[in-house]
Amino acid sequence: MSTQDIEQKKPGGNFRWEFVPGNLSVSTIVRAVIVVALVMFAVTTPGFLTMPSIRSLLSTMSFMGCVAVGMTFITLSGNIMSFSLGASLSATSIVFVVLLPQGVVVALAAAVVFNAVLNGAQGLLIGYFRANPIIVTMAAFALITGTFTYLTGGRGIYVLTNDADFLKANLGPVPGPFAALLVCVIVGQAILWFTRTGRNVYLVGSNPRAALAAGIEPWPTVVWSFALAGVFTSVSAIMMAARYGSGDLQHGIGMEYQAISAVLIGGNFIGGGQGSVLRTLSGIVLISVFQGVLVLRGFSTEMQQLLIGVVVFLVIALQWRKES
Amino acid sequence: MRPLLQNPVARPYVLLVVILLILVAFGGNRVLAPAIAYSVLQQFSVLGPVALALGITMMLRHFDLSVAGMLGAAGCLAVIFGGDAPLPGLLVAIAFGMASGAFLGAVIVRLRLSSIGVTLGGLLVLNGFAYVVTGNREIGFPRLDVTRFVDFAYLNAFSPRFLAALVLFAIAGAIMSWTRLGRDVLACGSDPRAAKTAGVSVEWIVVGAFTVSGAMTAMAGGLLSYSLAAASPSGLADVLVPAAAAAIIGGVSLGGGRGHPVGIAGGVLVLCLLRTGLTALGVPPFIHDIATGGVLLVVGLLDGGDLSRRIAEAARLFAKREV
Repeated sequence: MSTQDIEQKKPGGNFRWEFVPGNLSVSTIVRAVIVVALVMFAVTTPGFLTMPSIRSLLSTMSFMGCVAVGMTFITLSGNIMSFSLGASLSATSIVFVVLLPQGVVVALAAAVVFNAVLNGAQGLLIGYFRANPIIVTMAAFALITGTFTYLTGGRGIYVLTNDADFLKANLGPVPGPFAALLVCVIVGQAILWFTRTGRNVYLVGSNPRAALAAGIEPWPTVVWSFALAGVFTSVSAIMMAARYGSGDLQHGIGMEYQAISAVLIGGNFIGGGQGSVLRTLSGIVLISVFQGVLVLRGFSTEMQQLLIGVVVFLVIALQWRKES
Repeated sequence: MRPLLQNPVARPYVLLVVILLILVAFGGNRVLAPAIAYSVLQQFSVLGPVALALGITMMLRHFDLSVAGMLGAAGCLAVIFGGDAPLPGLLVAIAFGMASGAFLGAVIVRLRLSSIGVTLGGLLVLNGFAYVVTGNREIGFPRLDVTRFVDFAYLNAFSPRFLAALVLFAIAGAIMSWTRLGRDVLACGSDPRAAKTAGVSVEWIVVGAFTVSGAMTAMAGGLLSYSLAAASPSGLADVLVPAAAAAIIGGVSLGGGRGHPVGIAGGVLVLCLLRTGLTALGVPPFIHDIATGGVLLVVGLLDGGDLSRRIAEAARLFAKREV
């Protein structure tokens, strides 16, 4: 490992790295070319730079975006991805809607705590017992889906009061969900930059043995990563419950795959230890702009899925330099 | 009993007998009907090849997530190409699976990337591909004669679809037990560097494993679509969880280097019997989700690197307090 690599992994080093691309690797150049091409493509698309288009873009990207911010912590901590974030989003939306009659504050707090504990428990099994993250999160997916199908009978639960309507409000021209996404990004990045847990996420993600040798037990960091993923995902769950007026097992289907796509397209290293929430934000924006442009140019939803899959694949293939 | 339980190939079969006894205790003759056996084996014919595909890559310390996308994509291809000629249609699907698997394997080996990342990309591409070729609609398969043939129950239980899956397991089992290739696969899985030093061409084995994985999954997907007389771009994770669970119950270690197709077959049978048996007893399907998840969680935990260490720690702490 060269000194430059170590430099990048220090939180301070990261701070610079985000804004000044210090080393011009192939992947950095390719990424810049992709961004420029996409911007040209977007600007020349008729109807893209209009207020309704941009507003709908900002709203739709926010639900997936908060999950992606959460997923960033799991990826950075060296645990690749969680297969249960989508299911836990659905479960949290149901918890929120069910508790809404007890008061909005109670419902909000319960939803956040519920999802933090739900994912933190998976983090505990993965961190403390070093169980495989793929297996544990897949098992959690099946358990959460099964349990909540039992509890709800497989039907959506609808909001009967208008207590949660304030969550649908917009801040002037800014759509409410997008404001929530920005808050998530700022909080998430602040955790990575300014807290000890944030620094440990990088350390444990890049080399858990080195962390242990340095006297830092890796498992609390893994638990924190999963719990934070749960907290950010619960923001998405609450917003979706408010927007659609229901808690439903359908809300989160496939969300984990969209989220990991954004994390990887943003340039976070799939092996952990390198990346940031800001990179994830760029991934979220890239995917959403790409999708928006494809829609306006008349591509079908199916074609969008294929093209985004291809882009994710290419981005992963571009990471080869770092791992060898 | 003890050596039987310690043998990872025999363990799933012991579990199978236990589950069967429990089901019979609750349901009696309802569980022992030929229709139940047929239903178990029909599920085996889909889940079996996929679990075997995933299991072979797991033996090599890799993980082929793309099987979930391949199952749907191959089914769509088989239906599209197989309307006039079912067998060539199936062969097109299998060839597609081989090409896709070989490509993913080559990318993993040549670029030295983690298989999870690459196959995750492959999963998303294959899923998008299935949506594009079907136009996000369900495509009907008009050949009812073919549908009837692949599901025809010889001796009341064995369909051609199941026999095809059984042949795959027999070939894979024979290779793993009696050939040098089988021993090389386990060597590559337990220590790739040492295997390479000993003269095993690790790269080719990995590429080969992903090629075989793609082909087997494609076969299962194609035959499934023929059986359903339709193909649609399906949900992503539907098959991934049971396939991973079956492979792990069947004695495949996530750390690589351990596992046998006969064990995987046992793991698949356990899950299929559980699902069919619970349905026959009138238990709602979500119980099966919970049971699969629970089993996967427990086995994943037992497979975890630090379980024994943590238990020893807890025991020490407890002992200290006693003093």
